[in-house]
Amino acid sequence: MNLVFAIAIGAIFGAGVYLLLQADLLRVVTGLALIANAANLTLMASGLSRGQSPILPLTGDEPVSDPLVQAMTLTAIVIGFATTALLLALAVVLYRRRHSVDLDDLSREEAAASARDETEEPALDPWRDVELVESDEPEGAPR
Amino acid sequence: MMLIAGPLLVLWIAGLALVVMDGRRRAVGVAAIVAVAVAFALQAVLLGRVVTDGAQDLVAGGWAADVGIRLRVDALGAVFAVLSTGIVLASLVQAVATGVRSRTLPALTVFLTLGLSGLFATGDVFSFYVFFELAMIAAYALTAAAGTAREVSAAFLFAIVNLVGSFLFLIGIALLYRATGTLEMVAVAEAAGRLEATTAILLAITFFVAFGTKLGLFPFHFWLPTLYATASPPVAAIFAGALANIGAYGLLRFGGAILPKELALSATALIVIGTVSIAYGAIQAIGRRDTREVLAYSSIGHVGYILIALGLGGPIGLSAAVAFSIANSLNKALLFLSSELRGRLTAFIFLVGVLSVAGVPPTAGFFGKAALFDAGVRAEDWVAVAMLFVGGALSFVYIFQIYQHDRWRPREERERETPRGTAGVGQRLAAGAVALVVIVLGLWPQPLLAAGRDAADAIVIARGGE
Repeated sequence: MNLVFAIAIGAIFGAGVYLLLQADLLRVVTGLALIANAANLTLMASGLSRGQSPILPLTGDEPVSDPLVQAMTLTAIVIGFATTALLLALAVVLYRRRHSVDLDDLSREEAAASARDETEEPALDPWRDVELVESDEPEGAPR
Repeated sequence: MMLIAGPLLVLWIAGLALVVMDGRRRAVGVAAIVAVAVAFALQAVLLGRVVTDGAQDLVAGGWAADVGIRLRVDALGAVFAVLSTGIVLASLVQAVATGVRSRTLPALTVFLTLGLSGLFATGDVFSFYVFFELAMIAAYALTAAAGTAREVSAAFLFAIVNLVGSFLFLIGIALLYRATGTLEMVAVAEAAGRLEATTAILLAITFFVAFGTKLGLFPFHFWLPTLYATASPPVAAIFAGALANIGAYGLLRFGGAILPKELALSATALIVIGTVSIAYGAIQAIGRRDTREVLAYSSIGHVGYILIALGLGGPIGLSAAVAFSIANSLNKALLFLSSELRGRLTAFIFLVGVLSVAGVPPTAGFFGKAALFDAGVRAEDWVAVAMLFVGGALSFVYIFQIYQHDRWRPREERERETPRGTAGVGQRLAAGAVALVVIVLGLWPQPLLAAGRDAADAIVIARGGE
């Protein structure tokens, strides 16, 4: 049973990392959701024990199975759900603003925007700087 | 006991109430300030109690001690709680004084404070994760709250990278539970001493990666500069001054208290990574012009010092790590808070931050760095001492460079970039309060050094009294 869990966790985590490295926002979010589930499964696997259900009154001397991991996993699922929802919301906002879900497009636009800012940014030397600005030369223009 | 649960209850109720209200209204902002201030006051009283009477315990719901979830505040947790809540308070005052432009900012800040207060007060590994995630989710939403494309994409990157760190941490907790069979920190620390070497080192690496990501250490830093440069100054101050404490506290708690043998074993690796972080942060910072970008890279550099202090190890190294973390949080919060304010008084406040980062007395930064040098010299680790010196010299260069670039310029040119006149009273008050703390700790360093020593003692006690 341990081996099955280990292989499943490894496969899910690997698939998650693969998706995380894609350029598509939604794939990234899906990848993260998979990693979250790999973590949940690890939590479950950390308390695999056979025994009677842990509800009082106990019957007989049979050992009790570990209830704690299930409580923890439940909490972790809720947290994973919240983070996935938040990430999807962020992806929607990004799509509305930039009309693309491709991370390369987004970072290209970002770079273009910061290059525009850079043009207006004055040089470090305060005295030389005054002349440069007054001469109205676009300092960060394409070289 | 009311002092432990009090701050959490106040923040939780206030957060729930505020989240349905429109945060742009001043009254809502003021209510959030009041809630955080109450939590701050309770935590300050709690810190006093912890210093005089030792660690305080509370088992939630009146369950038996080994069944219920335990809240446990020792000197380490109390110091970080007071520090973080105080910085959030100052930042929130400034945010409200500047004018809140998003509905959710006050409520999210309150939730973030709740997460931070909770994780510094818990004695249970899994509730640590829950509080930690609460603070982080509030932080992701806080970054995106303004809603422009730049901020949302910074928030997306921030969230993705840190969530991978969080889930690794969760996997680490699962391993820890599997290996030790308990979640209660003191019991975990005892059981961890008997672990097989391979299991323990695997655990230590998982936790190191998780907290390294939070701290923005060198190989895990890439999300940090965009975030700090994008967020508004008060939010950046919360991130750099309060949220980054999670990483420092986590390394001290999980490395120093739970896995001390593995921490000692990896001393060389920690010093090497810390050194690389310092060098990388400083060199990148020297190459930048934008004040907040410089501060972001300098944050990457400064966590390297904490790592070096951990690597030096022993009670002196641990107390130096705590003292430096406190000074560093205050410095970064102060610099971010005053980074976009104009006027003579705020220029002075900014200068206090600059001097403190450079480590010039009489500021808290001087004693933070002095504690590090002291730890290095006593451990006779001359490589680390040399690195501290080189890092300090580089920080002189970049920090005065931004001071010059930012403040020694013709007025009309400055105002073109940040088109605002002299800062408002509330904005100056928030930054001024932090500056005052930095100067007072510089003139009277006893509390800072005592906090470091008490916290280091608490870590040693938590190991199960070696």
